Amino acid sequence: MIAKLDSSPLGIAVRIARIDWTSMSHDEGRRLREFGLLEGSEVTPLHRGSLFSRDPLALTIGRMKVIIRSKQAAAIEVEPATT
Amino acid sequence: MTGPAPTIALVGNPNAGKSSLFNALTGARQKIANYPGVTVERKSGHASFADGRPLALVDLPGSYSLSPASPDEAVTRDVVLGRQTGEKRPDALIVVVDAANLDNHLCFALELIALGLPTVVALNMLDLAERDGLTLDPDRLAAELGVPVVPTVAVRKRGLTELLAAVDGAILSHGLSATDQPAPPPGDTALHQRARAIARAATLAETPVRRWTQRVDAVALHPVFGLLILLALMFVMFQAVYAWSEAPIAWIEDGIAALQALASDHMAAGFLRGLVVEGLLAGVGAVVVFLPQILILFLFILLLEASGYMTRAAFLMDGIMAKVGLSGRGFIPLLSSFACAVPGIMATRAIPDAKDRLTTILIAPLMTCSARLPVYTLIIGAFIPNRSVGGSPVGLQGLVLFGLYVSGIVGALVVAFVLRRSVTKGNAAGFMMEMPRYQWPRLRDVGIALWQRAWIFLRRAGTIIAATTAVLWLLLSYPQAPAGGDVRQVDYSIAGRIASGLEVVVKPIGFNHDIALALIPAMAAREVAVSALATANAIDAGDDEDAVAQSLSERLQGRWSIATALAFLAWFVFAPQCISTIAITRRETNGWRWPLFMVGYLFALAYAAAGITYWTAVAFGLG
Repeated sequence: MIAKLDSSPLGIAVRIARIDWTSMSHDEGRRLREFGLLEGSEVTPLHRGSLFSRDPLALTIGRMKVIIRSKQAAAIEVEPATT
Repeated sequence: MTGPAPTIALVGNPNAGKSSLFNALTGARQKIANYPGVTVERKSGHASFADGRPLALVDLPGSYSLSPASPDEAVTRDVVLGRQTGEKRPDALIVVVDAANLDNHLCFALELIALGLPTVVALNMLDLAERDGLTLDPDRLAAELGVPVVPTVAVRKRGLTELLAAVDGAILSHGLSATDQPAPPPGDTALHQRARAIARAATLAETPVRRWTQRVDAVALHPVFGLLILLALMFVMFQAVYAWSEAPIAWIEDGIAALQALASDHMAAGFLRGLVVEGLLAGVGAVVVFLPQILILFLFILLLEASGYMTRAAFLMDGIMAKVGLSGRGFIPLLSSFACAVPGIMATRAIPDAKDRLTTILIAPLMTCSARLPVYTLIIGAFIPNRSVGGSPVGLQGLVLFGLYVSGIVGALVVAFVLRRSVTKGNAAGFMMEMPRYQWPRLRDVGIALWQRAWIFLRRAGTIIAATTAVLWLLLSYPQAPAGGDVRQVDYSIAGRIASGLEVVVKPIGFNHDIALALIPAMAAREVAVSALATANAIDAGDDEDAVAQSLSERLQGRWSIATALAFLAWFVFAPQCISTIAITRRETNGWRWPLFMVGYLFALAYAAAGITYWTAVAFGLG
């Protein structure tokens, strides 16, 4: 079963299984890595969009909270977190 | 040790508390300038070691790594590598890391340490980390990193002496053993794993992330309530700009009137007295009066920024902004543009996508900046009745002002939508941003920033505005109309004749001679329109005591129709009458092409908006 981060339920921790780096620009990919969004990281999606849109997505990684767009989240495959 | 004072650069991730540390180390002894060739702010200041030797500090823009994603980050890289023109390579680095976010911040720290400069790590905001349930071991961290680590709490001035002592030590010992070539920083993933391993080793105990930030965010980022809160905040902000400023404005007005009376009493009648009383004091005074409103607006923006809420606002607005081809990143520059488009346009440097950034720059002047407040306040005060709307606590004047703000915002969204499909066409912009924790804004940091804004405004009033007003006064006073004739001095003067030429162009949109006269010097800055009207009025009143006693707004009421006043308001929603904005746009876009485009499209919109407003009002019998 492959789940994508852009459709994962909010508030439930998941582990990043694979990231399709080819679907985004070099800079976008680098910024994701700088945020610590890498294969093996655990993240929790928390908030999605506002009244007018399902974009963007706010998630926690470690003790940090970051915002990404669904387009990038769609390139991130996740699996249930082990902890 | 003798020789010049060492230069020490503060580097670190965004949100590491770098600016607070910089403020704590330098106090108010700071200088803000620009790096040559680029418009990145260079913040520098002075401090001294415990024994009194001086040192220079430079606060570099927050960055995630040495591979820049924006002009800001490029400066950080170039300075630490010694490649920035006009800036010598720092003698030492203070790497600022957020103690509660080590996994992430250590990545950049490791890259910086690998450069081989004398380096000290400031383990900042240790108190917040402890409150957050983290227990860290600074000694272990120092051992892992191979450089001194000093725990600091910038906002409480804790650890500052130790930090500078460690820097001093690092510079001294570096001179003894500085032969090793810096190791190239390892690749992204490996670097991250190393950072994470070090963070884990230095963490003695950890409890799960505290819940209260999450609870606040559950409401603040709620799809519906979040937006309502944002709207309410904006509303309170704009109401406060009016409500809180009344008393201080009255003090300033009284002060200027007292100065005018003093000058009139102690100066011989003639050229100089005219220049001082009617020119400088009337003109500059009309602008300085708005300092309270500008400061209140900046205060709100600084508080929103310092508390961490601004990023939440960006998150909430991203969905709407994406629809017109922008990103939530653009919300911060645009909100700053409500205070002034110049810092707003400079803040667009944080937008990584070039087309997204250009579009944001082009629409920034549509946000109602504080320089429009003088114009709006004068006209609204003179022509819109001061009564409440249908018995509610909402005032009609406030509502009109709100409408003007909304017109600017809607205009900006429409323009962005059109531009993103035509001249700035490109891929959908991305939006990636770190959300800082909520924190109480530090009074001191906000105070310093507020003081800097006030100073910039007053300096502008004392230079550009004073100069334009003085020139305008001269042009308005000469040649002198023949005594006893029925020609008004304002019409007879050089400025009056130039205005008569312009009047032909603006007559169709309902503008009269007064307005044509005010528009020309207002190219320097919008608020000059008010000082120009004030100066022309003062000359026009001359020695007629009844006329002098009348206020500017009373005089305008007698001379303008409501339709004209409304058209004048509509004009200023769009008109790009600000030299500083045009200049900053030229610098930020590296050429004249985009500033000229911006000026052209904004004047066209201003003309159309004023025309439509005028003819609609006339049709409703307000002409």
